[in-house]
Amino acid sequence: MARKSFMYSVLEAVQYEMRQDKNMIWIFELTPPVASNPGRPVINLETEFGRLRVANTGIDENWMAGCVLGAGLAGSKALTYIPYQGACMPFQMIQNHAGKLRSMTGGDAAMPVVFIMEMTGQTAGFAGQHSDYEIDTYYAHIPGVKTVIPSTPADAKGMMASAIRDPDPVVFLYAAGLRELVEEVPDEQYLTPLNKAVVRTTGSDLTIVSSGAGMPDVLDATEKLQKAGMKVEAIDLRCLKPMDTETLVKSVQKTKRLLTFDQSYYTLCPGAEVIARVAENVDGAKYKRIAFPDAPPPAAPEMFNWMRPNADHIIAAAKRLVS
Amino acid sequence: MADRNDAHSHDAQRKSPSASRRNFLQALAGAGAAISFSSRIANAQQGEIGYWAKDLSDAQLTNMFSTILKIRWYERTLVDKMLTDSNYRGYNHFYVGQEAVATGVCAALKNTGGVMEADLIYSTHRPSGHAIAKGTDIKKMAAEYDFRATGLNKGYAGEMHISDKSIGFMGADGMIGPGPVIATGSAFAIRARGSKQVVVNFGGDGTYATPHFHSAMNNAALLKLPFIYVIENNLYHQYAHYSWSCPMKDIAEAAGTYGVPGVVVDGQDVMQVYNAAKTAVERARAGQGPTLIEAKTYRYYNHWGAPGAKPGELGAFGYDPLAISSFRPEREVREWMTRDPVDICRNTLIGWKVIDATKATAMEAAIKQEVLDAVAWADKQPFCKPEDGLKNVFVEGSVAARQFG
Repeated sequence: MARKSFMYSVLEAVQYEMRQDKNMIWIFELTPPVASNPGRPVINLETEFGRLRVANTGIDENWMAGCVLGAGLAGSKALTYIPYQGACMPFQMIQNHAGKLRSMTGGDAAMPVVFIMEMTGQTAGFAGQHSDYEIDTYYAHIPGVKTVIPSTPADAKGMMASAIRDPDPVVFLYAAGLRELVEEVPDEQYLTPLNKAVVRTTGSDLTIVSSGAGMPDVLDATEKLQKAGMKVEAIDLRCLKPMDTETLVKSVQKTKRLLTFDQSYYTLCPGAEVIARVAENVDGAKYKRIAFPDAPPPAAPEMFNWMRPNADHIIAAAKRLVS
Repeated sequence: MADRNDAHSHDAQRKSPSASRRNFLQALAGAGAAISFSSRIANAQQGEIGYWAKDLSDAQLTNMFSTILKIRWYERTLVDKMLTDSNYRGYNHFYVGQEAVATGVCAALKNTGGVMEADLIYSTHRPSGHAIAKGTDIKKMAAEYDFRATGLNKGYAGEMHISDKSIGFMGADGMIGPGPVIATGSAFAIRARGSKQVVVNFGGDGTYATPHFHSAMNNAALLKLPFIYVIENNLYHQYAHYSWSCPMKDIAEAAGTYGVPGVVVDGQDVMQVYNAAKTAVERARAGQGPTLIEAKTYRYYNHWGAPGAKPGELGAFGYDPLAISSFRPEREVREWMTRDPVDICRNTLIGWKVIDATKATAMEAAIKQEVLDAVAWADKQPFCKPEDGLKNVFVEGSVAARQFG
C-alpha cells in the first residue's frame, strides 16, 4: 500500500498483466505509457516490454483502435491509449466493429481489448476541439462495449485489471482532470467489478449521482452540505454501461430526491439515463439535472468557467430540492 | 543574426535587377550555400519549377521579407510574454523557424475578396505564420490569443482555432487529420462553380500517417481539384520524429502514388517555397489538378508553449517534460538555426539589391514596434462576458444555461 497517482495506478495494473501474459500488447501515440510516483520505481512499459509489444505510432487513432481490435480477434489481449485530441476519431471502429462482432459472429468473436480514451474537458482556454466533455455518453450508447469511468486511483487500478481480463471490449474513459489525484492504492493486483456503482457517502435526504471528472465537485459539495445538516447520499457511477440500476433505485427509494451532476453536455448526459432508470422504478421522487450547456466549449476562460458546472451549483440545486 | 554590411545601392540594382539576381544565384550555388536534397523527387522537379521569384517586383519581394519579420517578431514577443507576464493567458504552438513556408506559399495566392474570390488556405494548430502571411490583422489576432471580446473571433477561438474568412484564411485546426479532407471539399465547390480560386492545405509531417492524407490526395487527384497540400516537415509530429509515422525519407514521394506532382523544397528559403507554390497554383488554376509540396523546415520552439526558452533569446533548448521518447537533440536545433529563414531572405534581397542592410535593419525595427503596439492594444481589450458562452451555437439566439440545475 502506498499513495499513488491516477496514471501510476492504471499502469501498475497493466504492467502486472503484461508480465503475466507475454502476448499482450499496447499501442500509443503522443502519450507514452510512463508514470512515476515518489518513492516507487518508474513504470515505463515502452522500455520494459520493447517496441515489438509496446509501439509508438504515427497519428492515426483509427488504426490504433483497429489494431487492438484485430489483435483481440487474433487471440491477444491488447490496449490502446487514445489521447484527448483523438477521442472520437476511432468512434466508428468501436461502434460498428468492436461493438457488433461478437453478436455478428453468433457469439464466436472474442475481443479482450481495452480502449483508453483520454478526456480533457477540465481545461479552460484550450477551446473547441481540445475541451470536450461529451464523449462519455457517446461511447456508453454503443451496444457490445462496456464503458467505465473510474474517478479515483484505487478504482482505476482495479477496474483496469478487470478490463484487461474481461473477454469483451471495454472503453476505459480517463478523465484527465483527475490526473493529479493521489490516494492509498494497494500494491497487489486486485479486481474491481465493471458493473457496480459505489456509494461514497450515505444519507437519507438527497441522492447525488455523478461520475468521473464530476466526482471531486460532488464530494466537495457533499461535505459542505453534510456540515450544514443535510444527509446526502453521494453515488459514483463508475460504470456507464452496464449501469448499476439497483444501487440508484435503492438510494432514491430512501431519499425520494435525485440530483445528477455531469461535466458532459446536458442532452443525453449520463444523468439523463440515471433519472430515466430511477423514474421507471421509484414513485413520488423529485429530480434535478446539472450538466454543461449544449454548447461547444468557448476559448475565453470567463465564458468557459461560468458555463462549467461546479460545487456551488450542486449546493444551490441541492438546497432547492430539499427545501 | 548575420552581419548585413552591403556596399551596393538601390540605384545599382534598378539598372539590371534580373541580371544581378541571376549572378547572385550563381554565387550562391558556387558557394554551396544553396540547399539541395538528394531525393530523386527534388532533383526531378526542381529543374521544372522555374525561378519565378526573380521576376517579382521589388515591392513584392520586400513585402515577403516584411511578412517573415512580422511572423518572427509576433511570435518572439509572445514567447517573452508567456515567460514574463503572469497576467497573459494565451498559449502558443510556435511557428518560429518555419516563416518562409507560409510566406512563400501565400505570396503566390490571391489574399483578398472573401471565400468567393480569395484563394483559400486551411491552417494547422501552429497557425500564426499562416494567418499573418494571408494578411490577418495582427492586433485582432493578438487579442484573440488572449481571449479578448474584441479578438479576431470574439474570444471563442483562442490560438488553435483562429480564422479570418474575409481574406480566405479558413481557420486553424486543433486536430491532426481532417483539415485536408475539408479543404478538398472547398476545392470541389470552387471547381464546380467555375471559379479560378485555389485551395491550399497546410499540414505537418504528422498528417502523413492519418487516413485523411490518403483521402484528400486520392480524391483531389481523381477529381483534378484545384488543391495544394503543403506538408511542413519540421521533423517532429508533437514529440515524435517523423520517421515514426512515415517510412520514406521524403513524404512528397507519396504523391507519385496518386499520379500527382510531388515537390521537395528547402522550407528555410522563401524563394524556393514561392517558386514551388507558384508552379502548383498555376497548375491548379489551369484545371490540371493537385500538387503535393513538402517543405523541409524546423521549429525553434517545442511542440507547444515555451519550455526551455529564455526571454529575449531565440529558440528553446533542453528537455521537454512532456517528451519521453524520440525527441529532438539540442545540437539539431542549433544546426537548423544556422540556416535561419529571416537571414536567408534578407541576404537574398540584399544580394539582389532589392534592399540594403540599412533598409533591412530599419524594416526590422519598424516591424518590432508594430508588433509591440499590436500586443499592447490587445492587452487593453475587454474580457468576454461569461454568459456570451451560450451564444453562437446556432446562427440565432443562445442555448440554455444548464449548469445551475
